[in-house]
Amino acid sequence: MGTVLKKAYDWIDERLNVTPLWRDMADHEVPAHVNPAIKMSAFVYCFGGLTFLVITTQILSGMFLAMYYTPDITNAWFSVRYITDEVLLGNVVRGMHFWGASLVIVMMFLHMLRVFFTGAYKAPRELNWVVGVLIFFVVLAFGFTGYLLPWDQKAYWATAVGSQIAGSIPWIGPYIQTLLVGSHTVGALTLTRFFAIHVFFLPAALLVLLALHFIMIRAQHIAGPL
Amino acid sequence: MAGGERIPGTPRYRHHLETNPGTEPFFPNFLLKEWIVGSVFLLAFMLWVVFNPVDLGDRANPDDTSFIPVPDWYFLFLYQILKYYPGSDIVVGTVLVPMVASLLLVFAPWLDTSKARHPFQRPLATSAMMLTTLLTIWLTNEAAVQHKAELDAASGKASAGLPVLPKIPASQIHLVNTNMPGYKLFEQTCANCHGKSGEGGLGPPIYAIGKYWNASQLKSFVNNPSGMMPKNGTLSSDTEVQQVVDWLSQQKG
Repeated sequence: MGTVLKKAYDWIDERLNVTPLWRDMADHEVPAHVNPAIKMSAFVYCFGGLTFLVITTQILSGMFLAMYYTPDITNAWFSVRYITDEVLLGNVVRGMHFWGASLVIVMMFLHMLRVFFTGAYKAPRELNWVVGVLIFFVVLAFGFTGYLLPWDQKAYWATAVGSQIAGSIPWIGPYIQTLLVGSHTVGALTLTRFFAIHVFFLPAALLVLLALHFIMIRAQHIAGPL
Repeated sequence: MAGGERIPGTPRYRHHLETNPGTEPFFPNFLLKEWIVGSVFLLAFMLWVVFNPVDLGDRANPDDTSFIPVPDWYFLFLYQILKYYPGSDIVVGTVLVPMVASLLLVFAPWLDTSKARHPFQRPLATSAMMLTTLLTIWLTNEAAVQHKAELDAASGKASAGLPVLPKIPASQIHLVNTNMPGYKLFEQTCANCHGKSGEGGLGPPIYAIGKYWNASQLKSFVNNPSGMMPKNGTLSSDTEVQQVVDWLSQQKG
């Protein structure tokens, strides 16, 4: 078995030269000051990785929820009730997605505080800080759009008020409101566009930003010890 | 970069003998430790999820305007800021504060340009961030407390024993005898929670309370209120309370 796998790997490697791609990542040295196994207080350096871990579970639980969720105003609430009450482990998957949304915010906030207080955003890492702040905004947008999807009372009225607040912005407010809501009041168009934003637009943006975030860390390395 | 590249050809098991023993390769050494942290974290997360099932509220009903809306908890600090800039000042809460805060956050690396990285060596940046964090937490908590009070008021909990008046827009309320001294006091104190026209806010609506209670009933309630209401409604003397309830008892809607 092992030799078969090795032969398959070598066959691919001969043609595509994949070894340097992953060896570069595998072999890069992780400095001691970020390693909690060496210094316990270095656990603060885990916040970023843990944020990514929760984002991964969000993507996975979201994919499973999408198998049952129906983004139209007649069925949305019933489909969420079906997930919660009928689907095998549906309440657990929905619970992961629900609590995970809050956990991403908390972990990301802690990660941001760590980066700020260790001054890791200073030159030459300014751009990665900016990308991180953009990720923060994208995650908030995930929260705002995802909140409407269960189509229950608190979802509906939170979005109704949120869009009214957006509409109260001078000059461009009404345009933002129409863009968000799709019409003059929260309804069928709002739900479909929030769904599309939540499962297509924002994930695309998030994956691009995360890729940039990680590529920049690899290019610039983790900031040195204080 | 802290630590150097691993010397090519050095076996991993001899790695700790190299000049820079603190560093280790990302894979598999470091990632293994990260996985341990991640596993413990995930386990705690899953336990939390299993023991805290999420319920689903009633189906959305656009006709039910009595529902008290509230955003998810991580937007509460923004929501709370809006409350401090009512009326035409709302633009401060909707645009100015979030915009300035976002720009400060995005451009932090260009505002804090000193070489020093230790938090104690750049007191301005450190204290600014700590203050912002504390303020955000305080605003979030304040919004949650106020929302709970609103829910209690709507369900009649905060006004145990107090007659329940329907919520109506302030523009439909016509207060009478506003030349009485009690009205001035009402405007300065009671109105903060019950609204300028007694239409209700944090506290329940009381615009027509005189229809149900006379001055002495009102006075005994204000002297010993239930729920969130402070004793004597923050009025400083019993004479003031008397003046307010004299005026309130004439408001019969």
